[in-house]
Amino acid sequence: MTSLIAFLNTVFDVILAPFGHRLAAFDLLIWPVAAGIAALLVYKKVSNQKGIAAAKNGIQVHLLEIVLYKDDLVGVLVSTARAMAQNGLYLGYNLGPAVVMMPPMTAVLVELVAHYAYAPLPADATPLLEVTMAPGRASKDVTLDVPKGLTVDAGPVATPDGMAVWRLKADAPGDYVVTVKDGADAESKTIAFGGEPRKIPVQRTNTWEAILYPAEAPLPSDSAFQTISTKVPNRELTFFPDGEDGVLGWFFLFSLGSGFLLSKPLGVEL
Amino acid sequence: MSRFEAPPSVAPRHLPPKGGGGVRFGILGGLLTLLAACHPKPPDVPGVFILGVDGMDPVITQRLIDEGKLPNLAKLAKAGGFESLATVNPPQSPVAWSSFVTGMDPGGHGIFDFVHRDPKTYKPISSATPPSTDPTKAIEIGDTYFPISGGAVSNNRGGVPFWDLLEKAGVDTEIYRIPGNYPVPDSGAKTLSGMGTSDMRGGYGVYTWFTDKPIPTKPDGSKLKGDIEVVTVEDFDGDGVVDNVHGTLKGPPDLFHIAPDAEITDNNYLTAGVTFWLDKDRTSIYIQAGDDTALVKEGEWSDWMKVSYEGLPHGVVSYDGMVRFYAKQLKPGAGEDPKGPGFAVYASPVNFVPSNPAQQISTPKTWSEDLSDILGNFYTQGMPEETNALKDGMFDDDDYIRQVALVQQDTRNMMELALARFKGDHDGHGAMTFMYVSDIDLQCHMLWRHGDPKYADAPHHPAWEEKSAAKHKLDIEHMYEHVDSLAGDIIDNLPKGSSFLLMSDHGFQPYTRDVHLNTWLRDNGYLVMKAGKTTGSIPTDDVDWSKTKAYNIGFNAIYLNETGREGQGIVAPADADAVMKAISDKLLAQRDPKDGHVVVRKMARSKDIYSKQREAEAPDLIVGFDIGYGNSDQSTLGEIGTEELTDNTSRWSGNHLMDPDVVPGVIFSNEPLPPAGGYGLLDVTATVLKHFHVDPATGMTGKSIY
Repeated sequence: MTSLIAFLNTVFDVILAPFGHRLAAFDLLIWPVAAGIAALLVYKKVSNQKGIAAAKNGIQVHLLEIVLYKDDLVGVLVSTARAMAQNGLYLGYNLGPAVVMMPPMTAVLVELVAHYAYAPLPADATPLLEVTMAPGRASKDVTLDVPKGLTVDAGPVATPDGMAVWRLKADAPGDYVVTVKDGADAESKTIAFGGEPRKIPVQRTNTWEAILYPAEAPLPSDSAFQTISTKVPNRELTFFPDGEDGVLGWFFLFSLGSGFLLSKPLGVEL
Repeated sequence: MSRFEAPPSVAPRHLPPKGGGGVRFGILGGLLTLLAACHPKPPDVPGVFILGVDGMDPVITQRLIDEGKLPNLAKLAKAGGFESLATVNPPQSPVAWSSFVTGMDPGGHGIFDFVHRDPKTYKPISSATPPSTDPTKAIEIGDTYFPISGGAVSNNRGGVPFWDLLEKAGVDTEIYRIPGNYPVPDSGAKTLSGMGTSDMRGGYGVYTWFTDKPIPTKPDGSKLKGDIEVVTVEDFDGDGVVDNVHGTLKGPPDLFHIAPDAEITDNNYLTAGVTFWLDKDRTSIYIQAGDDTALVKEGEWSDWMKVSYEGLPHGVVSYDGMVRFYAKQLKPGAGEDPKGPGFAVYASPVNFVPSNPAQQISTPKTWSEDLSDILGNFYTQGMPEETNALKDGMFDDDDYIRQVALVQQDTRNMMELALARFKGDHDGHGAMTFMYVSDIDLQCHMLWRHGDPKYADAPHHPAWEEKSAAKHKLDIEHMYEHVDSLAGDIIDNLPKGSSFLLMSDHGFQPYTRDVHLNTWLRDNGYLVMKAGKTTGSIPTDDVDWSKTKAYNIGFNAIYLNETGREGQGIVAPADADAVMKAISDKLLAQRDPKDGHVVVRKMARSKDIYSKQREAEAPDLIVGFDIGYGNSDQSTLGEIGTEELTDNTSRWSGNHLMDPDVVPGVIFSNEPLPPAGGYGLLDVTATVLKHFHVDPATGMTGKSIY
């Protein structure tokens, strides 16, 4: 997973934010549209276009039967069942293409979220750094090294269920790298205070959730720590809710919209 | 402590607030533009900005101006004017602000006291809502009650709020934290409810105190105003070191599991869990409440933390609240001394979340959400200062002042926003904004005992605490200075040509002696206890109504037990005047046995001083106490004790529930005030309406100052 995330980061860090992160609308428009078009072409290639057309036709025919013969109860029930069967067939035809398209679409979405969903902490914020230990590991001996310009404002509080928490304070805006240590194990984490919009790290983990937070490398699978995280503010996004919900909104609106609009010109049966 | 709210920023009032709204504002923005085209055109006159400062006193203000401590107000007084402003009778905040809002006296708007009585049962009820005549009906399924009708609550205030008249005339009106506007009546203007807005429990500031120490008792033995949760500090991992505490926070009543006709008891509230983890040095705690977490050091407040209450399982019905925690003491292992070391964490009353309030707190309903999009979370409870904690002894003055600073910051953020929105696109033209400030009122109530800000030679207050007084004797002055700095912001940023009024609803006086009106009525034969009882209370049915002629519910109110009106009335209407005269004469003649001082300065019959619209609901007599005297909390709620007069040893040590002549408010204006003087609260309402060429509503009696 680490290699995959590193590869995706390498690719997307090059192609995203050509004009910097301030202009979020550019990437949030271009890449969902591009992903929608790409998905359309892949869909055309990997789906059973004839089968889909036939299933859609079948659904329409049986729905028409229901309308035309609405006084014939048995006929309506049979037509409804047949329409549902055709619908199931239609969904079945789409299952394969969905499996093929989901990973690349997810990758684009996750990278867009990493780049545009989060804002740096306000320069005067006092965020919590929360560390969850790997199962079976205690947190009471965990320590934290902070760089110059960053101070531990409160804590640590080490809970017996394996968490350790510090409250931090920065002297000036910037990206600060802290190091969490437990014996020989040491892991770093970047915390972004103030400054321009940029790719904001949220959490490092060695669970499946690492795929959702590609801004930093996942924790090693044998790490003493399961998760190291800070809560960060959502970025304000025009026309959509802030943060992740907003990026999802942009992505689905423009990828699905472009897919539907271009399906006929590109001769794709959806 | 995590602070993720956007810093205070501003947005013009004619545009949707920036950020957060997303699609809602994108689409709504267009619709609002269309709607704006249908709205009456704003009058082409400069705007009016009013700062409503509860409890600002003309004598204290003048002294501080003379001493150079209020430079902005001094400048305002010089450029425009400064006068005292007559208040209403009784001079209580909900009564006075309702009079300002409606331009009517209490007989017009129907708010006569903080506390009214239900004439049928004699029990005290909030003046904010009328006695219930529409009980809830519900269908019972298993142990769950599904309401089907009734139970609606409405605002008891009658009359027409001035903002409705302005809004209909096209004036762009924004009203921030207006007292007495909860439950929120419908309005086309933007209003945010203030004093009187409840917490999630439906109370007026019910806190939670988590402690492993003995439960403190109040010197007067009265009930504590919060939930006291005695907790056990546990050793989660069994290593011999205590490390965590679990507790619960009560939220709204569990209405789906309370029969409609049943009384709500302490066990009938929905709860949310909270966990505190102690650090090994016992200097900070990690708090987990709902999905929110905070790390606070001893002596610090957390930021707002969201808690959810499930009315029905699986989130079918849930209510969001928000709470702040104060780490008072983090030294578990309590002894028997309540003042000794121990674990003590304070949770504020659970406030409505402005972005998603469980009860409507603004008009339009979404305005509180719009404000929170810009300001982040803010106090929604009507009286946000933690006065109950200080009264109950949970807080010392340092704790209290620390929390007051949070409220002040909240106020300043909101006022800056209000001012920026007032300027808007049209430099305030055709706009009216009112902003309420609670600083002076509540701090005069709580901190007067440290040093009388009005009478330099006053003896020590009975609740004077030597150690604390030295540190806090100037706190009230600092509150005036804070208001002065708010006024300075307004003066500096007010669009040219706009009017600025700073007004208060009443002034202040010391409160050194408690009068127990019900006890006095008993001792003088007007109130008779049931056989075998000498003390007791009206709500617990200890009074013999077949022999009682008069009783007290409320801070300044005496009701006759009149036939045809009260549940078991015995005073014939024809005899009412004689009974009232006898009571009035005796109270006016009463002298304090401690020093021979006059106790009651003026008695008024409601039928002589109120207009007629709702006079029938009014108390029969309004008691105008002299300086230093006030009705006790106990008597206000219907208790009958042993003594008629006692020293006020409560930290609630300043007051204004007296003869209105001794507690006038203030008015400042950036335009010269005509020399006639003699202005009253209702005149301010008339002035604002006249400024915008808006006719007053029926029943408004004030005269424009200009």
